[in-house]
Amino acid sequence: MSKFTDHLWSDLVREHGPTLAQAERPAPARAGGARLLRRPRVLAGSTLGLAGIGAALLLALGGTAATTPAFAITRSNDGSVLVHLNYIKDQNLPQVQQKLASMGIHETVGIEMGTGAASVSGPVTCAQGPGATTKVKVLVGANGTETIAAGQSGGNTAEGSFHLIRCTVANNTNGSGNSGVAGNS
Amino acid sequence: MRKRPVALSARPGGRPPASPIEQFEQVYRHNVDVVMGYFARRCREPQTVADLTSETFVRAVDGFATFDPRRGSDRAWVFGIAARVFATYCDQSAGGREAVARLGGHRQLDRDEIEELAERIDAERQGAALLQRCEQLPPVERAAIELVDLEGLTPKEAAVALGVSRVAFRQRLSRARSRLRKEHQINE
Repeated sequence: MSKFTDHLWSDLVREHGPTLAQAERPAPARAGGARLLRRPRVLAGSTLGLAGIGAALLLALGGTAATTPAFAITRSNDGSVLVHLNYIKDQNLPQVQQKLASMGIHETVGIEMGTGAASVSGPVTCAQGPGATTKVKVLVGANGTETIAAGQSGGNTAEGSFHLIRCTVANNTNGSGNSGVAGNS
Repeated sequence: MRKRPVALSARPGGRPPASPIEQFEQVYRHNVDVVMGYFARRCREPQTVADLTSETFVRAVDGFATFDPRRGSDRAWVFGIAARVFATYCDQSAGGREAVARLGGHRQLDRDEIEELAERIDAERQGAALLQRCEQLPPVERAAIELVDLEGLTPKEAAVALGVSRVAFRQRLSRARSRLRKEHQINE
């Protein structure tokens, strides 16, 4: 790369990075490899209701009683929410979203997955956008890395590992009655 | 002849790009040099080469959401944009307007960058000479020679870049090569 092309790239990122970051890309070709790329998906988020007592409370489990829960949503006594899911394997964002909505959640969480193992294990704390009041963490797979075998997810043809690159939480303008943590009942 | 474009998913370590910015960076780094060469064969001014290259990638950013690698290579897509940028530039220059300003303004170049671009223009002199020899050809035939024989696109990719069918493109490429051969034999 030359100085000119490096400078041009810096200018593009500086001036058009936000546009690029939001680009909804078509799903990648899958020939010869695992399903590797996911676009950010949106989960419903919420104003939290409980005045915290005690330790973390398990509020919701996805899946039937006969199967391993596909996801779990945990609310802690400090008002934060932890969403634990196997995103790639179970394709369960819509169910997570429904569950959060049924809990009266009025904030929106977006996540973006990348390939490979997480460099730092554990949940990822979501960046809070304008109007967001809920602290949300998302944990994928086992301690931050989700591994799937070939054929375990629609379209994947080889084993692959994935991690959460980033997540965000923002005020859901479609929600109503979002009065923040304090004062909810 | 340039090397064939690598696949969009190829990347050091075998990991495909994860975010749109990473994906675009791969497209950018894979194509910026050949796009610069494309303009360097057509323009004598480093500033113009810089502006047209910049404009091509700004437009590519705007259209990146619509780019689907399953429908054609990134190189074909970027060349399609570069060709439109150059056509706009020519139209506006012919109309006596300040084309580059209308395309988005000048990027301020420092001395090193100007030197780099001037060297690139010099390096493309052979390609520019070939293009001059092609001047009597219809524009699509001229572009066919350039994209396939100078840039190394496959006929299929070049057809996508030029927006013509593969069959029509192959006919034009064959016709263009045949004409150039004849001209060369006559000159000898």
